Amino acid sequence: MAERLKPVDVVTVGVGLTGAIMAKELAALGLKVVGLERGPRRDTSPDFQSPTIHDELRFSVRKALMQDNVKETLTFRNSADQTALPLRRWQGFLPGTGTGGAAVHWNGQTYRFQPVDFVYKTHIEKRYGKNFVDPDITIQDWGVTYDELEPHYDRFEYLCGTSGKAGNINGKIQPGGNPLEGRRSREYPTPPMKETQYGALFRKGAEKLGYKAYPQPASTLSQPYTNPEGLTLQQCVFCGFCERFACEHYAKASPQTVILPVALKNPNYELRSNCQVLRVNLDSTGKKATGVTYVDGAGREFEQPAELVLITAFALNNVRLMLLSGIGKRYDPRSGTGTVGRNYAYQTVSSVSVFYDEDTRINPFMASGSSGTVIDEFSGDNFDHTSLGFIGGAYVGAIMTNGRPIEFHPTPPGTPTWGPEWKKAVARHYNHTVVLTVHGMSHPTRTNYLDLDPTYKDAWGLPLMRLTFDFPENDLRMSKYVTDKTVEIGQAMGGKTVVGAPRKGPYTSTIYQTTHNTGGAVMGNDPTTSALNKYLQSWDVPNVFVIGASAFQHNGTYNPTDTVGALTYWAVDAIKNQYLKSPGPLVRM
Amino acid sequence: MSKLSRRSLIKASAPVGAALLSGSLADVAARADTPAHTHTAQLQPSAAPSTGTGSGEVKASYLFLNSEEAAFIEASVARLIPADEKWGGAIEAGVPNFIDKQLGGAWGAGERLYRGGPWQQGTATQGYQLPFTPAEFFRTAIAAINSELKATTPFAKMSATDQDAYLHALEAGGKDLGGVPSKEFFAALWEITLEGFFSDPVYGGNRDMLGWRMIGFPGAYASYYDLVDQHGIDFQHVPTSLASDVHRHIHVRPEIPARLPE
Amino acid sequence: MLAAGSAMAQGAARPADPKRGAVIAAQGTATVPACAQCHAFSGASDSSGAFPRLTGQPAPYLAEQMRDFASSKRDSAVMSPIAKGLSASDLEDVSAYFAAASGPFPLLAGPDAAIIKKGETLAREGDPAKGLQGCNNCHGPDGAGFPPRIPYLAGQYAEYIKLSLTMWKSGYRKNSPNVMKPVADRLDDQDIAAVAAFYQQIRNSTDTAQ
Repeated sequence: MAERLKPVDVVTVGVGLTGAIMAKELAALGLKVVGLERGPRRDTSPDFQSPTIHDELRFSVRKALMQDNVKETLTFRNSADQTALPLRRWQGFLPGTGTGGAAVHWNGQTYRFQPVDFVYKTHIEKRYGKNFVDPDITIQDWGVTYDELEPHYDRFEYLCGTSGKAGNINGKIQPGGNPLEGRRSREYPTPPMKETQYGALFRKGAEKLGYKAYPQPASTLSQPYTNPEGLTLQQCVFCGFCERFACEHYAKASPQTVILPVALKNPNYELRSNCQVLRVNLDSTGKKATGVTYVDGAGREFEQPAELVLITAFALNNVRLMLLSGIGKRYDPRSGTGTVGRNYAYQTVSSVSVFYDEDTRINPFMASGSSGTVIDEFSGDNFDHTSLGFIGGAYVGAIMTNGRPIEFHPTPPGTPTWGPEWKKAVARHYNHTVVLTVHGMSHPTRTNYLDLDPTYKDAWGLPLMRLTFDFPENDLRMSKYVTDKTVEIGQAMGGKTVVGAPRKGPYTSTIYQTTHNTGGAVMGNDPTTSALNKYLQSWDVPNVFVIGASAFQHNGTYNPTDTVGALTYWAVDAIKNQYLKSPGPLVRM
Repeated sequence: MSKLSRRSLIKASAPVGAALLSGSLADVAARADTPAHTHTAQLQPSAAPSTGTGSGEVKASYLFLNSEEAAFIEASVARLIPADEKWGGAIEAGVPNFIDKQLGGAWGAGERLYRGGPWQQGTATQGYQLPFTPAEFFRTAIAAINSELKATTPFAKMSATDQDAYLHALEAGGKDLGGVPSKEFFAALWEITLEGFFSDPVYGGNRDMLGWRMIGFPGAYASYYDLVDQHGIDFQHVPTSLASDVHRHIHVRPEIPARLPE
Repeated sequence: MLAAGSAMAQGAARPADPKRGAVIAAQGTATVPACAQCHAFSGASDSSGAFPRLTGQPAPYLAEQMRDFASSKRDSAVMSPIAKGLSASDLEDVSAYFAAASGPFPLLAGPDAAIIKKGETLAREGDPAKGLQGCNNCHGPDGAGFPPRIPYLAGQYAEYIKLSLTMWKSGYRKNSPNVMKPVADRLDDQDIAAVAAFYQQIRNSTDTAQ
């Protein structure tokens, strides 16, 4: 029997980036906030210190910072005519856990989406006509515009201290930045990171072909910085242990370094670790949340009543919790009805390897998670697709993050897969290879979706979430096109051998391709095709907000985190200025 | 042109055993009681190496592998990453010891592996779907291989050419090794060999950081702010293990769990 | 800001000559006194803290400090005139000499075990309350150094470590500002004493047996 606790004003499910920002903002207003984090408490000192953290086997290969598959995983299938089976080990994407969530072990790559992303359906139909897009693709407008989000992007970037060079300040193009970016209101809070060797080689090749290279916006900082919350981050040292690892130097923006200490100082906020939320509880009408039920680390069950429930876990877990709690109608791909679980999307990435002679040394181990050089000419709808037969695009760049040898030991085509020649090739090419990344959009389809698995359960006895996903043909055509363009850049870079590897179907869960899982609880203007309104408030249960990349109608060209941060500030503003003054639906239909 | 002292250069000139010094460093005393300065201290082969290196092969004490399994593992990894005239291979790097400790430890027992049934074969995109833990997986497959070869020639007694052919056949797939598909077995054997060659020496493989020295990977300590913009610098650096102490002795620990302390 | 002339050119045209550096260390030049007068011929200096141990520090690190002294990026009434008086090849040679030199770490009477333990924790883990990472992250295994640019602290004199951290904290030492100033700012006097005490003794301890 669950023990019923004293009611609080707000409960957040998950204490990652979104949960930490929400907590700090609302506790500052005097509200009583409880943050429930299923994973352990951890902090830069002592938990993230090197050399212990610089252990490729433990953290990168064995995934020590990630969700424990023994307790909870997903099931996966490419299409509904298959049986979904458990992801018994993480390979293709890596859901995190613990205080700070994925923003502890992300790379810090901090890109805004483009203005057209938020009005994507309208834009595409206007430019190419209503019949241009494959009928299976279910893109929609997001219900919010870039202009509405711009101040919140700015706020999030200044929270993180993001290092970069603006390309467009209030309409004026700035040299050195991305001339194709959406306008921003001011410069980045810190200057760009130093350019690495691989970045410089890419820049030369790209500029030879007339592209405008610019520094990747980085939340691994170029210099010490004190953010508006009064917290100081330090300078990144390019240690090469960024993604899947935590930063020992306070140089990577994460909740621990940018906001959580402020929330923790406020007596209105309480962080409870090792607490697994089983469900959001609803009253008998099903339209009001009364709080959540959770199990703590010792296995004791509690009911935490709350006036406002904020679902702030990882995108996949946000959707699962809605499904387990009966918030909103679950999506049925056959009828196309229902909203929770629809428009799941991912990221379409590919690579090009550029092999050099031995006189060109790359030193790939001298890298940060976001010390890259990129171009934007092939992102999104930045180029004319009229004759190409697909929509969407990819950013291209040299964004190598490491030289960790278990997983990075490139060899040119034709090299045997093991044995004496393999060994010689590894020694020959390790320090003389640049790998370029093509990082592309992921379009939602009618048949890619999330729901609950009928067979497999987690350690608490609850159904695992089931992922049904394959790349739409559109995205594979897009990948081929941009990868071919990237091969040209590789050749212009002076590579001796240049090998393009476009993304091919079917999607496999066995090869890592980003942890950019988006959608499933999407925001929009139409309750029949979205689970949340433009303020990320549930259409069905107004005292529940669901914050994360789960709100994305599609996944844009770029990494999700900057947009997740902007949406969080956008939503918390709506909660502070509208919802708390008059609780109820913020958008009337 | 590197401005570094030659004393900080390290490249093993012989494939077997501990790091050997290049000629110019031979005059540095190898006295453990009078610690020499930073660069050369770590090059001393005789200063109580905890990895058990000396010259020549080292017999690891196996905790998991029985002698028949060990014979197969030693012979197969020696073909997967062989020694050559420049660099030692999997045997010199202690890969069999690494494999033994991994299979005998938490990872081998199924740490972080979702083990609930029912079990179905699944598509290639759905990943591993067998009920075996890694320890069971290896044990089952190797037992099937050893049993099959008992009738002809055990793997360890084959010629190198025949061993390579056998490994290629495993890699190509099509055989059932007691319930383990041979293609999956080969992939797992290759993966764990790679890990044993390139992981931190604290795990019992990559002895003397042989794998890292071969490619020039500097290891667990990493701070490059001053160097990252010296594009193409020839960074000659003796690698460090996360288990190195101030005298650059490596304290090997075979069992490190793949989870943070709770 | 660079001083005049090719003395400040980045790197000599020929490889560094440690034998020539030994002569400069022992005898000085026409314009500068011998390094040995203050630092001892081996570079082992003394424990007063006024003169750091140079023995075995990475040559590029030593050369960089000398260039910083000459350009006043790092200011010292004693070292700046000396560095200015050396040519680019002089300071490369003398750096190479001290990098290759060897000498024992003297056993010095140290503070109590609790202070050393506190220093060990700061060195290995940092201090969560102060938002401070461990020194070893950059300075190597218990301060053994990270060549070519990050010096060893293990076996450096406590008084000198204290002096350096205090100089960064006060703003008087201005090189490596983005790395060392944020660190120094977070250390109070007891932290500084503890970390200095730990590093001074770590290469004297005999607890390295397997």
